[in-house]
Amino acid sequence: MKSFQIAIVTVALCIAGCSPTSDNTSDATPSGQGESRGTIGVSLLTLQNPFFQVIGDNITAEAAKHNYDVVVLSADDDIVKQGNHVKDFIVQNASAIVLSPCKSDAIGPIIKEANAAGIPVFTVDIPCRLPDVEIVSQIATDNYGGGREAATGMIEAFDGKGGDVAILHFAQAESCQLRVQGFLDGINEHNEKTEKKINVVATLEGGGKREIGGKATEDILQSNPNLAGIFAINDPSALGARAALEKAGVADQVVIIGFDGQPEGKQAIKEGKIYADPIQFPAKMGVEIVKAIVANSKGEEVESEILIPTYLYRQADGLKDPELQ
Amino acid sequence: MQLIFKYGTSFFLVLLCIVFSWLTLTPQDAFDASAAERIANQISQTTETSPSETTVLIAVRDNEAERSYAALLEKKLKAQGIEQITTATTAREGRQLLNQLQAENRALQTVAATQVTGSWLLFADLATDYPLHQHAKILVTSSRLWPNFLKYKNVSNVLNQISVIAIIAIGMTFVIIAGGIDLSVGSLIAFCSVITALLIRDYGGGDEASTLWLLIACGVGIGACGVIGAFSGGMVVGLDIPPFIVTLAMMLVASGLAFICSNGYAIPEVPEAFTWLGRGAAIKIGMFGGSAIEIPNAVCLTLVLYVIAHIVMSRTVLGRYVYAVGDNRQAAWLSGVPVKRVLMFTYILSGLLAGVGGVVLSSTFRSGEPTFGIMYELYVIAAVVVGGTSLTGGRGTVVGTLIGALLIGVINNGMNLLHVTAYWQKVILGLVILGAVLLDRLARSVPKTSSRMRQQESPKIETNGPNKSAGDNATKNA
Repeated sequence: MKSFQIAIVTVALCIAGCSPTSDNTSDATPSGQGESRGTIGVSLLTLQNPFFQVIGDNITAEAAKHNYDVVVLSADDDIVKQGNHVKDFIVQNASAIVLSPCKSDAIGPIIKEANAAGIPVFTVDIPCRLPDVEIVSQIATDNYGGGREAATGMIEAFDGKGGDVAILHFAQAESCQLRVQGFLDGINEHNEKTEKKINVVATLEGGGKREIGGKATEDILQSNPNLAGIFAINDPSALGARAALEKAGVADQVVIIGFDGQPEGKQAIKEGKIYADPIQFPAKMGVEIVKAIVANSKGEEVESEILIPTYLYRQADGLKDPELQ
Repeated sequence: MQLIFKYGTSFFLVLLCIVFSWLTLTPQDAFDASAAERIANQISQTTETSPSETTVLIAVRDNEAERSYAALLEKKLKAQGIEQITTATTAREGRQLLNQLQAENRALQTVAATQVTGSWLLFADLATDYPLHQHAKILVTSSRLWPNFLKYKNVSNVLNQISVIAIIAIGMTFVIIAGGIDLSVGSLIAFCSVITALLIRDYGGGDEASTLWLLIACGVGIGACGVIGAFSGGMVVGLDIPPFIVTLAMMLVASGLAFICSNGYAIPEVPEAFTWLGRGAAIKIGMFGGSAIEIPNAVCLTLVLYVIAHIVMSRTVLGRYVYAVGDNRQAAWLSGVPVKRVLMFTYILSGLLAGVGGVVLSSTFRSGEPTFGIMYELYVIAAVVVGGTSLTGGRGTVVGTLIGALLIGVINNGMNLLHVTAYWQKVILGLVILGAVLLDRLARSVPKTSSRMRQQESPKIETNGPNKSAGDNATKNA
């Protein structure tokens, strides 16, 4: 019985082994139109978030201009899955690997595998800062700069008056830490120049989500009934804050600054519910990644960190925006 | 035909391997001595200048196999009288070398590249970038057609990927054959992962922890999972609560504990030595195509555990007891089988092996994560069932489970290599699992005439419906 199984397996392997072995040497100069230059493997944190979808789409479109094929996969927040993606890219001899790591530390051994195989690795949005890992370039939004723009927006909305502001944070993400740092630095610099100071009275976890952001806002209002402004590190928590303010009937006296510029955020800005957002440009990020891959393939210098500046998107921009209703 | 049905899942597995091999046939670079010889000959034959004036740039990627190939090629070229050879392992290096050659007014005759390096954009515009080198010919290594699926690295990946599921599936096989189920294994992975990493970070010195402490921490982590397994077993055996409910509850408790102990964060402060189990490869057997063939440690561990489990299941009294308890608990009890102890054993074993799986996973990622193992219990149960074990108990083999785990691993890997989108992968995996089980059922119900008559006579417990005679555990059908 067992021998039959062994026989099947042996025959199968023989068939596979006897498959046509062509021994071709090509000496074509590779720049032919239509001939694939290679495959770029992309494993993103998730494709459910439109932010990453836009990045993926733009990588594919831009890479096609240089005859690269692109495989975009979603890791679904699972580091194990992302590890398998990278291993498969290595097996398929990818020309380059692009990652937005699920976990900044656990991704280390995985990137080292790609390093050992001699494949250049690029990260987008979420970095890996481990010292013994080689990453050609990390492309992200200038979160610190965005934080400073948020401060500018808040100061502009306050129009010379002072007041109390609160921050809705998501401390476990490095990007949010930078945003808040930028915001605080901007506010502190403003305070040095004026009598009417803006005081940060509370920093609570908004969880990056509506429900938690809303709950946190309610808690802040309890202890600070004269709250004049809220800075939230992303749009969902900003919208959660707005909902809580409307429920408490104080929506008109509190300025909200969000971050990101997702469609729902932009809509809220147009309607005046959020004052302004420093918005990100995932499309630009996709294009910049491909530019970095191309430069690397040409042997040119590539900056180890490429920061895409944000833009402070206000109601005026929302009214002009053709993509909103 | 009957033979095909008889070996159901195994046949299906081999068929899939053949199909994936066929579909992933791709030209592969050859990096052995004969390939180097061929390229060296081609270069010396086709070059227009004399050997001593021929300049060659070897462009390879920065990995072990290609670097040795480059060294080999250099030797072969020198044997042909060509001395002016430089090697670049990145496009950056390549550009610097081209610049240097340009500055020294030496024209490049040939680039010996691989499929990947030959496509570097560095070489795409030689005419415009380097007028001096514009007549350089780019030779790509000879390639052989070979399925990506059967590349040694890929086979090694698949075996490695199924290791965690396969190890835990051993415990699950014992539990299911004995008539129970264990839904807590996924959370136990996370629990063990966190406990082990926590002990290393807080009491062992983090990155500086000694090997002894690593072993102690792993032991405590695995032991803690065994304790939870014992608790589950105690509830099932002592209080007669259905295993489905008990282990479901423990799944939630263990997961919650994992998050509490880690505060929701990852725990990466473990030394490099910790990755030996998940990433190391102690056994190396020879070379193939320029790279060493290594067997990953996790795969060795899995095989060793399977051999032990197979021996226990098929050749020891304990193994027979497990089958007896699962097949007909009343009869087993009446025959003097220590039913309660056997059941406790299966749950404790399941817990311990889930802990081992957790250690392997943490070792692979050099991190303790409370988010490991989510949904793993379902894949483990799928592997066990696809491998021929009946969910109602009393039937199944450990070897079958290994084949089931391999099948799931092969399907996932094959679909990835064929770039099937993630959503379709879920549909296909579900359908294939169903198909494999159906095939196995068909195999059982294709009887010889005499045994069919025997089946109709005796009230033997068949697995096609609710288990009426055993009486207890409606959850056997879970």
